[in-house]
Amino acid sequence: MKWSEKYLKRMREKAHEEALANENAIEVRDLYKSFKLPTERAWGLKQAIFNRLKGIKGFTKQEVLRGISFDVKRGEFLGIVGRNGSGKSTLLKVLSEIYVPDSGSVNVNGTLVPFIELGVGFNPELTGRENVYLNGALLGFSNKEMDEMFDDIVKFAELEQFMDQKLKNYSSGMQVRLAFSIAIRARGDILILDEVLAVGDAAFQEKCNDYFKSLHGNQTVILVTHDMGNVEKFCDRAILIENGKITCEGKPAKVTKAYMKLWD
Amino acid sequence: MGKSLFGKKNRVLLAELIKTDFKLRYQGSVLGYLWAVIKPLLMFAILYVVFAKVLRFGDEIPHYPVYLLVGTVLWNFFNECAQQGIHSIEQRGDLIRKLSFPKYIVVVSATSTAVINVLINICVVIVFALLNGVVPSLSWLLVLPLLVELYLLALGISLLLGAMNIKFRDVGSIWEVLMQAMFYAVPIIYPLSMVMNTSILAAKIIMLNPVAQIIQDVRWSLITHEAATEWALSGLAWGLVSIFIVIVVFILGVLYFRKKSKYFAEEV
Repeated sequence: MKWSEKYLKRMREKAHEEALANENAIEVRDLYKSFKLPTERAWGLKQAIFNRLKGIKGFTKQEVLRGISFDVKRGEFLGIVGRNGSGKSTLLKVLSEIYVPDSGSVNVNGTLVPFIELGVGFNPELTGRENVYLNGALLGFSNKEMDEMFDDIVKFAELEQFMDQKLKNYSSGMQVRLAFSIAIRARGDILILDEVLAVGDAAFQEKCNDYFKSLHGNQTVILVTHDMGNVEKFCDRAILIENGKITCEGKPAKVTKAYMKLWD
Repeated sequence: MGKSLFGKKNRVLLAELIKTDFKLRYQGSVLGYLWAVIKPLLMFAILYVVFAKVLRFGDEIPHYPVYLLVGTVLWNFFNECAQQGIHSIEQRGDLIRKLSFPKYIVVVSATSTAVINVLINICVVIVFALLNGVVPSLSWLLVLPLLVELYLLALGISLLLGAMNIKFRDVGSIWEVLMQAMFYAVPIIYPLSMVMNTSILAAKIIMLNPVAQIIQDVRWSLITHEAATEWALSGLAWGLVSIFIVIVVFILGVLYFRKKSKYFAEEV
């Protein structure tokens, strides 16, 4: 796999250069996304045929994103806030190419590492080490790249002695620490975090806080959260999403105030 | 950015998933990977006792036990491959909902264990054949392209039905029943000559099924040229029908899967 590793590295370096050449890390234009939600039990063949015969469409269309446009500058820490069901997570999934938008465009300059959830694909029967490599492959890193990041990840998680034990023997705190360390030590140009900021005990949280502060200006991050304290602490800029539209955008203090007003 | 279908990045992921499947398959069992060999041999032993010894099938067939073993090994491969493939997308739903990668990787990695198993089992068949007094010949090499044909069929079915199964979970169940029926519609336990003695037409129809064609062709190339093949039975033109079916199923599967896979993350 030597030559393929080289190829991968070259591709990544090229992407990285392109990312540096452009001032914007992400450009989102006029994004629309809707889902077809089954009305009654439209699951299964019988119901589908039944609905067809009776002329029932079997679903209602729910518009989740309705014309979202914004830019994220290189090195910017952007916060996205909004009520439950306002479309934040859907937006992140469209940015991460998990969902296909109905219309509009997303332009990503550089490699994007999405963490919609921590430890996706973690398997309790595998060792910590094997899980790190599997997780890395799922995020698009080669084994060589993971070799380079491995020690750093393990050190940050403070799990050096446990890497050859199966994940099922980890405490839940240790599991999230490992997942979280992969998330923030993975070397992508753009990091996407969905409500996964501080995990573990107080000491570990403190360490995470310091780390996020140190990121300032060096790493593009998009963070979805409900914790307004974190928005003000870490973010350079924030946007508020309400019913699939951006209703407030700008300085964190302004956006968090608008967010609080939603309940007045 | 290495996003092409068979890009390096995707191959790294495929390799990692295959490795994981392989590691986890026989976790916690004492005999471990030996089960890959033991299970089909035990299944074969049961069929052998019932059909060769009790019902006295295949008395006139040379090397009938090897004949039967080839049938069961190939059938198990096809069955396991399609079964794992069809359900792979729903089983890996957690990944598909939260990460972006080409979805075919999930299907291919799910069928990989079956591929490894059949390669091991073909070696067992060869040892068995030699013990049974089959003389090695150059035609043994034909087994490899025939295995590829069978894999393409199973993969095509996996892609097609796997994609349908996301929307209509009934598909998986229908397929299981179909497979049960197909087990008896393919000359696995009974020799094809038994059908030919009653009705040549019935035999010809049976042989249009690619699975039957492949099993008979492997028997022909591995065991004895007396095994009836589709070519010998129906002539050259008809002999191509089953290969044609395999190609059509595979292309249909790829096209349908490509169209639907964009929305797996929302539907699974």
